[in-house]
Amino acid sequence: MHQIRYYYLFLLGFMLLVARSDAYAENMWVQVRESVIRAKPVFFSAAVASVKYGDAVSRESEDAGWVKVSFRGKGGFLPSSTVTPAKIILSGRSSGKIMADASDVVLAGKGFSKEVEESYKRTGSGVRYDLVDRIEKQCRSNPTEVKAFMVQGGLNG
Amino acid sequence: MGSLIGRSLSLLCLSACIAGCSNPALKNLTSTILAQTGYVNESQVDGVFNAGEGLVKSQTALTTEQEYYLGRAVSAKLLATFPPSSQSSLLSYVNKVGGAVAGVSDVPETFGGYHFVIVESSQINAMSAPGGYVFVSSGFLKLLPDEDSLAAVLAHEVAHVVKRHGVNAISNGALFSALGEFTKASASIAVSNTGSSLPLSEITDVFGDSVSGITDKLLTSGFDRSQEYEADLYAANLLVKAGYNPSALVKVLEILKQHTSSDESGWYATHPHPEDRIDELEDEMKFNTALYDTPAARKTRFASVVR
Repeated sequence: MHQIRYYYLFLLGFMLLVARSDAYAENMWVQVRESVIRAKPVFFSAAVASVKYGDAVSRESEDAGWVKVSFRGKGGFLPSSTVTPAKIILSGRSSGKIMADASDVVLAGKGFSKEVEESYKRTGSGVRYDLVDRIEKQCRSNPTEVKAFMVQGGLNG
Repeated sequence: MGSLIGRSLSLLCLSACIAGCSNPALKNLTSTILAQTGYVNESQVDGVFNAGEGLVKSQTALTTEQEYYLGRAVSAKLLATFPPSSQSSLLSYVNKVGGAVAGVSDVPETFGGYHFVIVESSQINAMSAPGGYVFVSSGFLKLLPDEDSLAAVLAHEVAHVVKRHGVNAISNGALFSALGEFTKASASIAVSNTGSSLPLSEITDVFGDSVSGITDKLLTSGFDRSQEYEADLYAANLLVKAGYNPSALVKVLEILKQHTSSDESGWYATHPHPEDRIDELEDEMKFNTALYDTPAARKTRFASVVR
């Protein structure tokens, strides 16, 4: 009798594990500061909606480095590298309770973070964060500009 | 009998989640046995392994945000030695060329975006930090004859970012230990602001060691030869995808070869000999230059901004 109970108990656990793996296919979280959902699985394609770090999107399918997603009633594509199956929880958004099995949860701003950066600066390791801040502002491009630039130069924009 | 099946499944699932996912032979064996029980099909077995793999990865990989802060720190160190150019038209142009090759890569966007930077240095050098910071020296830029060659240099550095060669350079015990602590911290909201049970000073030490490890790779020891060849091949493919002439990469390597005798610092100190890289690249890829005709607009804009 005990053996049968043990067997069913384990079978239930195993089915939950399989179901959990299937659940990965449904929800994904944006893991870049900001991005846009695109109309086609091409980086220079038109934007359909904007997403931010920690937003949850519903994954419909994935092919060749692009995930087909839906977000707040709009559908389109995100690069696979911009989303993760790990749930991202931003500071202040949590209800204060996280599920017991939280190995696939990422607390944004934790680990190597702004706070650690500030602490590292204080060690006086000969670093120039002022210049990093400058290049982050000066050295950037947006996909729309890049697409126009590619078309002008006879590239595959 | 039920107990026997239950125990077998239990052990096999455990091995799938903890160890099997990193061992293909064990994975195959486990899959076969699990499938033969008749209780699960092959796709379900794959699902279990994928779950296990995700679990292991989540405990040993840096998040994109953590990679961003590492990249900022490495860049802060590099820029202390090599100050950035502030020529806005040049930076705008270089970032569009870089954006074109990064945009067709497997990682078209990073946490904080790509930043292509020209640094003031007579050395012939180019390097990249985690998170998408790419640096090209003004000395190297002067040697490049056209936009396609510039795209080739940037594509090679984007390849290092995409393949995470910089982060892999710091896969040491202390980092894994810290990552484990970060993961454990995720299991409870009641953690310190560092997201870890480790004190801030200890995390800062691990962070500093990681930054030094990457900076040392970039400036002194260089990536492995295999990583450089991998970056070359990936870069050539990015050039093709973007519409640039992939043979521009060979052209750049030829230029580097010509300058080898006069400069043994910078790129030469951290990269395999250009001739070896050309051989390796041509073994893997056939270049048909006749397919590529550079439009006048591309020639003109390079000449007006860079020259």
